Amino acid sequence: MKFLGDWFVVLPAAVLLLAAGASVVMRNLIHAALCLTLSFIALGIVFIALGAEFVGLVQLLVYVGAVAMVIVFAILLTRPDRLEKSRTPFSGFGPAGGAAAGLVALVVLLGFIFSSPLAKKPLPAPASAPAAAIGEALMADHVVALIAIGVLLTAALIGAAVIAMEDKA
Amino acid sequence: MIGMIERAPVELLGWFLGLLGSFGVPSWILAVVSAVIIIGTIIGVFLGLFALTSVMERKILARVQNRYGPNRVGFFRWRLCGLFQPVADGIKMITKEDIVPRTADKVVHFLAPVVMMIPALMVLAVIPYGRDMVPADLDAGILYFFAVGAGTEVAVFMAGWGSNNKYSVLGAMRAIAQMISYEIPLVIAAIVAAMIAGSLSPSAIVAAQGGFAFGFVPQWFVLTPWGFTACLVFYIAALAESNRSPFDLPEGESELVAGHLTEYSGFKYATFFMAEYVGMFAVCGMLVTLFLGGWQAPLPFLAVIPSWGWFLGKICFVAVTMVWVRATLPRLRIDHLLAFGWKFLLPMSFAAFFSAACWHYAGRGPAAWILSLAIVGIPYLILGKSFSNRFAVSRRTYQFSE
Repeated sequence: MKFLGDWFVVLPAAVLLLAAGASVVMRNLIHAALCLTLSFIALGIVFIALGAEFVGLVQLLVYVGAVAMVIVFAILLTRPDRLEKSRTPFSGFGPAGGAAAGLVALVVLLGFIFSSPLAKKPLPAPASAPAAAIGEALMADHVVALIAIGVLLTAALIGAAVIAMEDKA
Repeated sequence: MIGMIERAPVELLGWFLGLLGSFGVPSWILAVVSAVIIIGTIIGVFLGLFALTSVMERKILARVQNRYGPNRVGFFRWRLCGLFQPVADGIKMITKEDIVPRTADKVVHFLAPVVMMIPALMVLAVIPYGRDMVPADLDAGILYFFAVGAGTEVAVFMAGWGSNNKYSVLGAMRAIAQMISYEIPLVIAAIVAAMIAGSLSPSAIVAAQGGFAFGFVPQWFVLTPWGFTACLVFYIAALAESNRSPFDLPEGESELVAGHLTEYSGFKYATFFMAEYVGMFAVCGMLVTLFLGGWQAPLPFLAVIPSWGWFLGKICFVAVTMVWVRATLPRLRIDHLLAFGWKFLLPMSFAAFFSAACWHYAGRGPAAWILSLAIVGIPYLILGKSFSNRFAVSRRTYQFSE
């Protein structure tokens, strides 16, 4: 459906921005966490609409399935009471200052993005089997990075288990 | 004739779309109509299966427990062995009062059943129901299945927390811990099948299980050592993912008063119930696709039965075994449950993975079979030994009563 082509990206992106903004502004912490989860889902849909299905699906699997759950566990297991008014609003610079800071950050980021060498290269043609292509690239060209990330994750897991383990007196 | 029955659903849809097209309907409307018809058929079939399963489960549980199940509800004056029980249940659920606790979070409490139902229905799109009968033939279909299935965890948390009830929160925490723990063996077991088939697409995995060795033995993955292990791991992890007995601690009435479902009544409870059963069928469908050969017949001359018939039969068989397991095994305690998942299922899934890789690289010949059997069997014996020593039943001594 050609005429819907751009809207597949614009609508989820709008939902993403709204949900992310809502999660920052909301008073109730759990509502904020759920809005963040919605923004993860919207980001996954944006990835899929842009043609990166593998990244989008992994975003859904990892962020919605695991990271959102970790956030929720962390909130619930550390502050079980008074969740409604548990966030004090930051009354520092007010909304105008926040908007100005955001605009400056946006301009600087866009400048960096458009002047980087990656933006000047033409887009490569999408692979016929993207998952297979990503797998081959990871295992052949970037295997050192893959193994380093694996070691890092193992260290983090062991560290978390050690911290959470009871002291055997 | 056989070919006609086999191709009937696809041919019917094609004929109907051709008819519409001859009336000058533009092609994008035809695409929408085709999608709506396919979705409607799948939802209709699976909700019908859900209704039948609720009766079938109660009757099988009853027969195992030496009693009759529901056997009264029929149609007019025919008893029909109680097969109309789901109709009575549905009417009851719809007409029940919908009670929402006063201090519950209204939005979250309302949205939880909705968010639970959506992934359960969305995952049905990538399962191949017959020859050329996948609603969405995605390249990364297995990844889609697990990615969308992860949305159920969010729904369980919303249900538990939105009810503003200690038991619900506890039940939700346990349910999420169980789901996260068992998701890893589930995905690794699925990757075993995808690895040997060489693709993440379910239809490619089914096609890789085609053909017959020695002319009559089907080449399904479940008939190999690594495939058998991976199938069992997948089956057990699937029981845990859909919160079915013996992993139904989150819904245990004696422990947690229905856990995250405590404060739900009427139609919302029916929606949760429906989502759980549809999810169970979806994961049964994935098990059949990955390990039991999908829509393929077990023997060459049995291909007279259409492919979608075989798929339906296999799904029903796996679902009946799940009910059978429920009738047989007691519920697991939460620490036993988590220990079993992390200390037994996860190493076994890795053993199946390694075994499949060795089977492939040893040339898939007789030596490869023996090697893969050893790689799966030795960890199983070692792990089983270590578990049975830990939880050995010893003679009980009463400290203060002698």
